[in-house]
Amino acid sequence: MSAWDGAKIAVLLFVAAVAQVSIFSQIDVYGAAPDLLLVTLVGISLLRGSVAGAAGGFFAGLIVDTATLGALGLTSLVLTLAGFWIGRYGETTGRDRAHAPYLSIAVVTVIYEVGLLVVHFVLGESAPAGPVFASLLPAVILNVIVTGPVYALVRRMLRPQAPAELSAEVQLLG
Amino acid sequence: MLASLTLLTISFRSPTSGALHDVQGAGSSVLRPFQIAASRVAQPFRDAYDYFDGLAKAKSENARLRKEVQAWRSQALLNEEAARQEPALAKELHYRTGPTFPNGYRAVTARVISSSASPFARSIVITAGSNYGIEKDSPVVSGDDLVGIVTDVFPDTAVVRLLSDTQNRVAAVDLETNARGVVRPGSGGPLILDQVAKQFPVHAGDHIVTLGTIDRNYESLYPSGIPIGKVTFAHATDTSSFLQVELQPFANLSSLQAVSVLVATRKHHK
Repeated sequence: MSAWDGAKIAVLLFVAAVAQVSIFSQIDVYGAAPDLLLVTLVGISLLRGSVAGAAGGFFAGLIVDTATLGALGLTSLVLTLAGFWIGRYGETTGRDRAHAPYLSIAVVTVIYEVGLLVVHFVLGESAPAGPVFASLLPAVILNVIVTGPVYALVRRMLRPQAPAELSAEVQLLG
Repeated sequence: MLASLTLLTISFRSPTSGALHDVQGAGSSVLRPFQIAASRVAQPFRDAYDYFDGLAKAKSENARLRKEVQAWRSQALLNEEAARQEPALAKELHYRTGPTFPNGYRAVTARVISSSASPFARSIVITAGSNYGIEKDSPVVSGDDLVGIVTDVFPDTAVVRLLSDTQNRVAAVDLETNARGVVRPGSGGPLILDQVAKQFPVHAGDHIVTLGTIDRNYESLYPSGIPIGKVTFAHATDTSSFLQVELQPFANLSSLQAVSVLVATRKHHK
């Protein structure tokens, strides 16, 4: 990944994070809001792999925690894991599959929400499981709807890499 | 991962002070212009949505408001008479009252620059902090209606925990029946008025305001008389010890654009 790519990823995530905390988080559809930042991170992770996904997740989480004056590191932790996991999926089985962004965002939305619930619970903070699970389905649907245009934009800014630039696919031995 | 865990550990060890807290405050100030710019870009779309939403609901809302105006008009006459008698009676009885909204407070109005609306935390960040006299635990209103309380203060920004946050509890009273309880968020959208004894005939439409206290040991963080919401559902069951009361907050907590922080003009006893 070139420095130019890194700069583009940083700008994309910065804009997505600011838009998320300033605009999108105020939308309320059955207790859920579209997560523009998560969708952008999924797009970046799928196109640039696990390392870019994890680093991007950390950076984006830091912006969110700073902007909302929340506990520093909390969102970073969960987004780092999400970015890494989606990046691995993109490097291996998800590569070049049209449904990959939609499937990834549906799965990662569930993992992200449940992951936040677990982290809050472990830290002894308020962790209301009821509202989290009640808003899961609307959150998944909203994020899947947002995925189409956002992934197209991310793909336009970050052209898919040549196969040689990507990590090798996982090969099963034996 | 390690960096995240390290930051998390430090921020949990000193959540409202320390070097990391200051750095976070400075970072927030840097991000503030971008957040304001994003809000301004979204404003026309928000206004357009509100306009069409208002048009769609205008007819039914108009009918409801006409009914309410009739009821309020007769109530206002009774209140006027009661208010005229109150100072003389209070003086005669040497009645001592605690801080009452809006007396004894000045409002610091600030713009909302970001919000956290996850099920874990419902909070907003506003563009005024300790430089404007805001302190931790200052009550926050939108118009006259209660919104939440300040939980963290930086020089130019402050974090407000909304009424809908799971950690918020507000001592409240029903204006019509004088039933006292504690307002907390419900599992869905509405708020719950909890701990209300069953003998109180709370009804849908009753108005709930902050109770306030004058107890030296357990002084309420909120002055008395700030409107909170209107009862939408009240029901007693055989199995529950208390009434089940749901209320709709007066303030629209999901789309706040500006709020007022109530700063005490004179110190109340603490």
